[in-house]
Amino acid sequence: MENVCITGMGVVSSLGNDSSELFANLKEGKCAFKEFPEWRDYNGLSSFVGAPAQEYDASGLPRNVRRSMSPMSEMAYLATVDALKDAGLDISRNGTGEEGLFRTNNLKTSLMIGSTSGSPIFLEKYYEKMIKNGGPKGQLSTSFFKIMNHSVAANVALAIGYSGPLIAASSACSSSTQAVVMALQMIRAGIYDVCVVGGADELHHSSVSVFDVVKASSNNYNDNPLDIPGPFDRDRDGLVVSEGAGIIVLESERHVKARGGKVYAHVSGGSFMCDGIHMSQPQSEEMAQTMNLALKDAGQSISEVDYVNAHATSTKVGDIQEIKAIASLGGRADMGVSSLKGHLGHSLAACGAVEIISIIEMMKNKTLIANRNVKNIMEEAEGVNVLTENVEKSIKTVLSNNFAFGGMNTSVIINNLM
Amino acid sequence: MVQEELISKINVTLSEEFELPIEKLTSEAHLVDDLGLDSLDAVDMLVHIEDELGMKLDVEKVQHARTLGDIYKLIGEVSSDSN
Repeated sequence: MENVCITGMGVVSSLGNDSSELFANLKEGKCAFKEFPEWRDYNGLSSFVGAPAQEYDASGLPRNVRRSMSPMSEMAYLATVDALKDAGLDISRNGTGEEGLFRTNNLKTSLMIGSTSGSPIFLEKYYEKMIKNGGPKGQLSTSFFKIMNHSVAANVALAIGYSGPLIAASSACSSSTQAVVMALQMIRAGIYDVCVVGGADELHHSSVSVFDVVKASSNNYNDNPLDIPGPFDRDRDGLVVSEGAGIIVLESERHVKARGGKVYAHVSGGSFMCDGIHMSQPQSEEMAQTMNLALKDAGQSISEVDYVNAHATSTKVGDIQEIKAIASLGGRADMGVSSLKGHLGHSLAACGAVEIISIIEMMKNKTLIANRNVKNIMEEAEGVNVLTENVEKSIKTVLSNNFAFGGMNTSVIINNLM
Repeated sequence: MVQEELISKINVTLSEEFELPIEKLTSEAHLVDDLGLDSLDAVDMLVHIEDELGMKLDVEKVQHARTLGDIYKLIGEVSSDSN
């Protein structure tokens, strides 16, 4: 079976807009949580903390490209450019450059970038105007291009002059991991040689509201966001919404060898499943099934796994179900478990790819990043090596999880090739 | 509002909305070749003119406009009709 390689990565996140900066901030235990006092004006909202992306600049794009972009498309564009540069692949507009793999009509490539929905910022503006004007009067021609579900993927394609298969994997918080697994399957099947995959989302009070109404957002630390308990902490009170974009270049081993490119890691297995049981209540058995299927797909056993990068968002229910699922797999006693949501917040559709990029950096730097701000590990985690301090060690195999509303469970296995 | 004031006002709007240097906004400026505007921009120009000047220009006439001068002329026609 064809090996699938990670050959490039690009990121815009709350703790860094390149993978090295992101890793350095994670290693230092930095936290991107900030108070948003203006959110106090939204009737019924109780969480006023978010984790905004670090400053980025997409002003270099021509106006007629930028005009249909919301922030998540801009972030995804920047991350895509960085990922392609990192992979050593051409990104010339409309195939005018050299060595163009991403030029017109190259059908052995695919661009798969998802988001939770169209731009929440512009969805609000669009319907606000529609309600105010009693119809479409006053809508700009480009408004819809910001709110359609494949806005990010289509905008990135336009911005880099990509013409070819385009998929906007959209499954909320599991979007980018689902894209990784789909790309894995399609590259193995020989459908594509190169898939540029990932996800993006932008911070907006409506995204926070989604979690707030189901009591999943943090609201006890609005005045002191840096004290919000981390994933797997006994006193955790919910998640913090973030934003950003994570883009990964996946390539068949045959293809990358032929062009002499570098390889960070193999995506050796993956699985995405819908539990079909409940829209919002995570199910540990089905989570474990997804993890086991990913391991089986990789032809590996849990005893080979050095580290589990958990989805854990610091919600009361989700962290328990995930740790139960991880515990049920077995694994070595030194198999570390952590989530990066206590540092970065939850960047929704972007989080899976951002976490894989962080995993590559952990592998590169031989350091496992611990959960942030865990004072008392929750009792349900007994017997699991929940990391509260960074660990220096060689990392060969990692299991990474992401879960989403709708009963979506995704897991991937990453093997170090550096 | 006299024609010069209308033109000045709409130029400021077009400059801001389409990121165009104000000095490029002349009657002779070709909408596509000189200003880089396209069919989507033409639609948005109608919205901005309606928002700023309260004038509803004819869509088909705007689509046939080639220069900014043609747009000024349409604004003038609507303006004189309403006077």
